[in-house]
Formats: sequence, C-alpha cells, structure tokens
Amino acid sequence: MRARAATRSTGRNRGWLWLAPAVLVAALLFGTAVGETRIPLATVIEVLAVKAGLGSAALDPIDASVIWHYRLSRAVVAACGGASLALSGLILQALLRNPLAEPYLLGISAGASTGAVTVAVAGIGAGLLSMSAGAFAGALTAFALVAALARAAGGGTGMRGAGVIILAGIAGSQMFNALTALIIAQSASAEQARGIMFWLLGNLSGVRWPDSWVAVPMAALALGVALWHARALDAFAFGAESAASLGIDLRRTQVLLIGTASLATAIMVSIAGAIGFVGLVVPHAMRILVGPRHARLVPATALAGAVFLVLSDVVSRIVIPGQVLPIGVITALVGAPAFAVVMIRGRQR
Amino acid sequence: MPRLTTAMIATFTLAPMAAFGATEYPLTLTSCGHEVTFDKAPESVVSVGQSTTEILYMLGLADKVAGTALWINPVLPEFAEADAGVERLADNAPSFESVLAKKPGLVVTAYEWMIGPQGVVGTREMFDDAQIPSWIMPTECVGKDNTQSMDGARSVLFDTALLYQGIEELAAIFDVQDRGAAVIADLKAREAAAVERAQALDLPETVSGLFWYSSAEIEIDPYVAGANGVPGWMMSKLGVRNVVASAEEWPTVGWETISKANPSFIVAAEMNRRRFPADDIAVKRDFLTSDPVTSEMGAVKNDRILTMPANAMDPSVRAIYALESLADSLAGFDLK
Amino acid sequence: MTPILEAVGASHAVRGREILSDISLRLHPGETLGLIGPNGSGKSTLMGMMAGLLRPSRGEIRLEGRPMARLGRRQIARRLALVAQSAETAERITVRDAVELGRTPWLGPLRPWGAQDDDAVAAALDAVDMAHMAGRDWASLSGGERQRVHIARAHAQAPRVLLLDEPTNHLDIHHQIAILDLVAQLSVTTVIALHDLHHALRCDRIMVLRAGRCVALGPPMEILTPALIREIFAVEAEIIPHPGGGRPVFAFQRLA
Repeated sequence: MRARAATRSTGRNRGWLWLAPAVLVAALLFGTAVGETRIPLATVIEVLAVKAGLGSAALDPIDASVIWHYRLSRAVVAACGGASLALSGLILQALLRNPLAEPYLLGISAGASTGAVTVAVAGIGAGLLSMSAGAFAGALTAFALVAALARAAGGGTGMRGAGVIILAGIAGSQMFNALTALIIAQSASAEQARGIMFWLLGNLSGVRWPDSWVAVPMAALALGVALWHARALDAFAFGAESAASLGIDLRRTQVLLIGTASLATAIMVSIAGAIGFVGLVVPHAMRILVGPRHARLVPATALAGAVFLVLSDVVSRIVIPGQVLPIGVITALVGAPAFAVVMIRGRQR
Repeated sequence: MPRLTTAMIATFTLAPMAAFGATEYPLTLTSCGHEVTFDKAPESVVSVGQSTTEILYMLGLADKVAGTALWINPVLPEFAEADAGVERLADNAPSFESVLAKKPGLVVTAYEWMIGPQGVVGTREMFDDAQIPSWIMPTECVGKDNTQSMDGARSVLFDTALLYQGIEELAAIFDVQDRGAAVIADLKAREAAAVERAQALDLPETVSGLFWYSSAEIEIDPYVAGANGVPGWMMSKLGVRNVVASAEEWPTVGWETISKANPSFIVAAEMNRRRFPADDIAVKRDFLTSDPVTSEMGAVKNDRILTMPANAMDPSVRAIYALESLADSLAGFDLK
Repeated sequence: MTPILEAVGASHAVRGREILSDISLRLHPGETLGLIGPNGSGKSTLMGMMAGLLRPSRGEIRLEGRPMARLGRRQIARRLALVAQSAETAERITVRDAVELGRTPWLGPLRPWGAQDDDAVAAALDAVDMAHMAGRDWASLSGGERQRVHIARAHAQAPRVLLLDEPTNHLDIHHQIAILDLVAQLSVTTVIALHDLHHALRCDRIMVLRAGRCVALGPPMEILTPALIREIFAVEAEIIPHPGGGRPVFAFQRLA
C-alpha cells in the first residue's frame, strides 16, 4: 500500500520540480513588467535578454535601468522576503504549536521599528547608522528580550512553554510599539513622522541590487534549514514532549530553527520595513493545498510566500495611479480576509 | 483669481484704520479661521518658524522677539547680529511650556502643524486658555487644506499676495505700519524685477523642472514639490512645467516616475538640519549621479542640478530672492 | 542479567522541593511493571525521568546499563517509546501519518524512508487493529481509537521499552480492557501508570508511590493488601477471591 503511495507522491514531486521554478519566474517577470510607469512588455523582455547576454539592441538608458536596477532587483528581493517571512511563520507555527505564531508575535518586527525610529528621529548614531542597521539591531534586541522573558516566566518545552513564549512576545511587542510611539511623539517634524509611517508599514521602493546580496542567501538559508528539519517539524505534531520522545533534540532544534526564523525576519524588516500577514496566512493556505507534511509544505510555503509578496508589491504600485501604497497595507488587506476564510474552513472540516 | 480674492476677504478683516498711520486698538482680526483681539501692540512675541522670524526682523521688531524655534538654515545674514541676541527655544518644535515660559504677548507661526488642530506645539484653544493670542500666516490656510495630510494640499496656486497680507497684518498688530508698507513695497519691487527676469528668459514650454526637498531614506521615494506650492509658483513665473502634478504640498513620487518624466532641471534643497541623511545636499548630489536610473536623466548628465535654501521653497520672503537666483541660474543653462 | 531500564536513587526537585526521592528500580526485559499511587504522588514525573525527558536532580537513570544523561535523544528514542497521558494535535493528519511519526528516530536527511519503515508501520497498524482505518482523519477518531493510534506509533518506533502514562484515562470500560489486552500482547518491556487497582493486578510487578517515595515494589498479589490500600489511599477495601479462579476482585467499602 505504501509502495503505491510512494510512486504516487514521486509522480507529484516530479511535477513540482518544473512547475515551481516556472511559477517563480513568471511572478518575477510580472513584477518586472508592471510598475509605476508604463513600459511595454516587449521592451522589458528586450532589456532582460540583453542583460542576460542574449543578443544586443539599442536600449533607452532610463528604461533599461528602471527595468534592471529598480524593478527586477525589487522583484527578487520581494520574492526572497516573501519566502523568508512565510518560512519563519511556518517554523514558528510548527514549533510553538500555535496557529497564530508568526514573527510579529515574537516582537521581532516591533523591535525593528523601534530601532529604526530611534536612529531616524532621536538622531542616535545618525550618520553612522542608517535606519536599516537600527532596525536590525532592534529586531535582535527584541527577540533576545522576549526569549529572556519567556525563560524567566518558566517557559520550557511542551504546551506551557509555547503559551509562555507567545505571551512574552505580545508583551514585548506592546512595549516596543509603545517606545516607538513615544519617540515619534517626542520628536517634531511631520515629515519625520510621515517617513517613519511609510517605513513601519513596509516599503520596497529603496531596494537595489546590493540588498539582494543579503536577501537571496538568507532566503536560501531559511529554505535549506527548514527542509533539513522537515521530519523534525513533523514530529512536533503532538507537542514538544512528544517530539523529544521521538528522538528530536529539542534545544538544538528550537535554537536553530527559531534563530533562523528571527534572522530571516530581522533582515527582511531592515531592508523593507515591517510587512505583516505573510508569515501568518501563507503557511495556513499551503497547509490546505498540500497537506501537513513538511517535506512538501516547506517548499510550497516558500514559493507561495515569494509569489504573494511580488504580487502584493505590484498591486501596491498600481492600485492608485501616481501613488505608491505601503506594501504592508496590501498584505493586510489581502491577508486578513484570507485568514478569516482559513479559520472558517478549518472549523467546517 | 476671484476665488482667491473672496477667500482673502473672508479671512482678513481689519478694523477701520488710516492707511500708513497708527493702528487703532482694540484690533480684531481673523487668522486662519480663529479670531484674535489686541488691546495694544504686544510687548513680546515668540516665533515658531524661520519665515515669520525673518519677517519680524525685517519689520525692525527684533528686540520684541522673546524666543524663536524651528530653524532649517542660518538666518539671513543681515539679521545675524540681531538674531544672536534672541533666545532659541528649539531647533525643531518647541514644547508648549517652553513657549508659555516666555510669557509672550503673541505667538506666530507659518505652519498649522505647529499650532493648529493637530498642532505639535499646541492648539489655538490651548493658547487661548493661556491668554496668549496666536497668529498663523495666511499662506498656510488660504486655498490650502491641511486636514488630509501633514503638509497639506493647495487647491489654488500660491500667490505672493498672501505673503504681503501676512506682513501687513503683523505690521498692524505691532503698530509699525509705515515700516510694513516700506518692506512690502521693496519686496514687490524685487518680485517684479525677478518675474521680469524670469519671463525674459522666454523658455520654451517643453522645459520642465523638479524641486526635491529630502527623502526619508536616500534611496526611497523622495519628497518633491507639488503643483501649487511656492516651487509651483516659481515655475509658473518661469513658464516651465512641473513634472509633479499632485496638489499635495510635498508628495512622495517614485524615482522611476520622475526619471521617465525626465525634467530639464532639478532644484535640490539645502539645509542645516540633519534628520534624514538626504538632508545633506552632498548626499543628494551623490545619489543623483550614482544611482543607475537617475544618473541617466538629462538634468543629471548635463549637470543642471541647482541648489536652493530649503526655506525658500516654503512661503517666506526668501522665495522672492530665490526666484531671482533661479532665473539667473537657468539663464546660464542652454535650455532653448 | 543487565536490567533493561534502571533507576538508581533517582530524585527530582523543582524549585528546591523534591517531587521524587530516592527511587530505585531494576526493570527486567519482558516484564510489565505497574505504577500506582494517589494523585500527586509523582507517577508522571517518574515516567518523565524514565523516558529521559526530565533530568534527575540526584541519582541516575540507566538504559541498558548506560547512564541516560550520556545518551543522545535519538539513541534513547530507538530503544524507548513513551505514550503520554494526552497528546493532541490540531494538524489535519491521518492515522497513517501519525503512526509514521514513530519511525522518526530511525530516519534522517541521509537515511530516507525505506521498505523496513513501511513494514514497521504495517505491523504497528495490525497490532492495534487499525489497519482498515489507516486513511481516516485524526479529528474523526474517538478517544479509544486515538489511544490505539498512539500505541501504534510507539510500536512503530520498535522500542525495547514502552512507557505508558495512564493510557486508559477517559476511556470507557470496553476500551480500557482492549488497551490493556493489547499492551499485554506486546512482547516489549512495559511500564504502565495506572489508577485502577484491578488493572494493576495484570502486571508482573507493581511499584506503589506516595509523596514521591516508593512504598512498595513487588508482585501485585503480595503488595495490594487491604492494609496497604488503607495506608496509601485511605480507603477500606476487601479482597474477594474470584470463584472461577481468575484474578481476585477488590471491594471498596468506605473511606478510612
């Protein structure tokens, strides 16, 4: 019986192997072809072909630079960020046995916002530190504090431990959000407040190729670590204690997986600001489509997260002509109702 | 234009007075929808904002200024000595209490986001409760809606008449109307000369421009001048197009859109403030020349990047001086 | 003969208070040991220590003669399986998925699923008589069926020692007996924590705990005297021999 099941799943796996990259490439192409201004698809393809070394043609320099340096790099980083955020959410949901678990609950994004605001507004380290570096420092600080709080509150393995971490994360988020509000209130300029708001809701407009040198390896690392631990993630189905009795080294697994999730989130937040709902909704949606086995769920989640964020970025640029909405608004507008659907369907099953 | 005149009349009523004579007290006027009354010329004044401060100095009232705040650039050189003797409450927004501590007879500002319904310093009512009259430059509220966004949006192109109206009102409040009239006459003359210079350039309609204030992060969408603010006024006098069509005072527009619009020249703001890395004019120039997309713009390739003090891009007397230098600079470019 | 699982003066303290003190026990291969005691006597803690999930604060636990503290989690999991009191999941997994989890300690990224894993799962499902329900959703199972799947999962682990923490809680009498029959059939060494004294009679030996200490250890018929029951449970009991020669019956009269 299992042998038959094995061939069936291999057949499906083989299908994934060519479908997944094709979907990703299509999403990246879409993200490159559609933007603030109208550039014909033919031009887009021409530019990409020339840059790839296939053929030569006279290109309008502004069009070529926009397509290559602005749009394609932005699409690539959006894809990596979407994959990283979605995988972080997946890892946290599996380890914490909590369907609401995602990077924001651990206070990572709130900490990142505080770090960015501190640098930008209070002027601490301004000139030496950019807002992004401040965000990164803030994210890691927040996670360290939340982890320490969870440990002090008696969090450990098992169900009780998972609940404690979530509560500590909520406490951490509230505190860091309050700090952010305090710093903004103390400081003056409307422009500062506006600049920060744009950043707190996510903004990919400053992304260039150098950002992808960090984003791509991070996404690859998150995918690799998650895939390597696919069985371990499965083993958490009945809780941490059960996983331990199945031979999972809890401490090492949790540190490695949660550390990877935090790092991926912090890097994404420091590049593009706080983008929500990706880590919450995408894993749930994929669970419905491909089932709960992590060997399939991990790559599916990464791909879906990538496509979701690329599409959200495109929508944020074109939905209101002449204006760019913060991407966090789009992911929330899509993510919140999608999440409601996921919850309701889950009940009905 | 008729709409503007009506608006002016609606916001500005003076008690009957003799032209260029002494002010008759009690003086009641409406400033941005709020009524203020003066029994006599105020003994002291706190000015939040460089433009109102410099107007007070021009009216010879430096000794009455008890405190200033919200500085973006050094004061005009002719007032440096006078300003040195005036206390600076804050480089940015002062606290409500620090203003009260000066016990001023009047508080003035050019920005509703400083003193207004969402005022960072305080609301008009808060100042009323402290029995301190507050006055806002008419440039901030006539034909301008500040409720939808922080910097506001202008429905009508900026007009220097509002600036002169503001100077007149201040002169009346402080009973220095002779001086006020002289200042206005001088400014009007300079403006006329600047406008004549600008129009003499006879620039073709295809010429377009962009005014760049700053950016929250150097690579993300910049804050650029909208269609109806002071930069819009300058460009209309020069007969050139603004690549930005928004009615917002300082909207954010993506570099992709700007580059595709390919403005003929770019005016970058220069300021002392260092809140954002992009405040630094050197950072702005460096970005324009090194970014792979903006460096392809005609304005950048042919070095048609001009520098202008940031506060000249907001309603102030500096706007008139800046129009002069802008016209001079553009004459030097081969834009025909 | 080396005991397969051994506790040597094992104690466990939480925040300075000892929950278990000086438990010593040698488990022989193939035997079934019952753990009984009032609520809070430390049964679950002892199970946790024997499963290697809790570190003894004093003394040690040895698995096949080697201290457990020195063994890796995978090594332990290949020899010892735990069926916890209540293990639930919100995941939409099938019976087969749940049983396949039992093979986790034998698998790795470099050692993928193979034929012997298929065989182990099939054998486990047969042993608990759930082979015909292998495709059912977890959520659709009854309490008794879920317990059987947990036992199947433990079976698939191919352990030498099976630890069951109160496996018959919340089950009706039919399923209680069914689970116990199933456990009796399995030839692995078993430690089973129990509440029902009648169930304890089915074990080879029982250990009685009170307030974290071992009060008695030995064959149930010798240990479970009315005097002990009075002392441990504060209940007056009489032992009534079975007319047909089977296991005796306890008659609980009143509180002592």
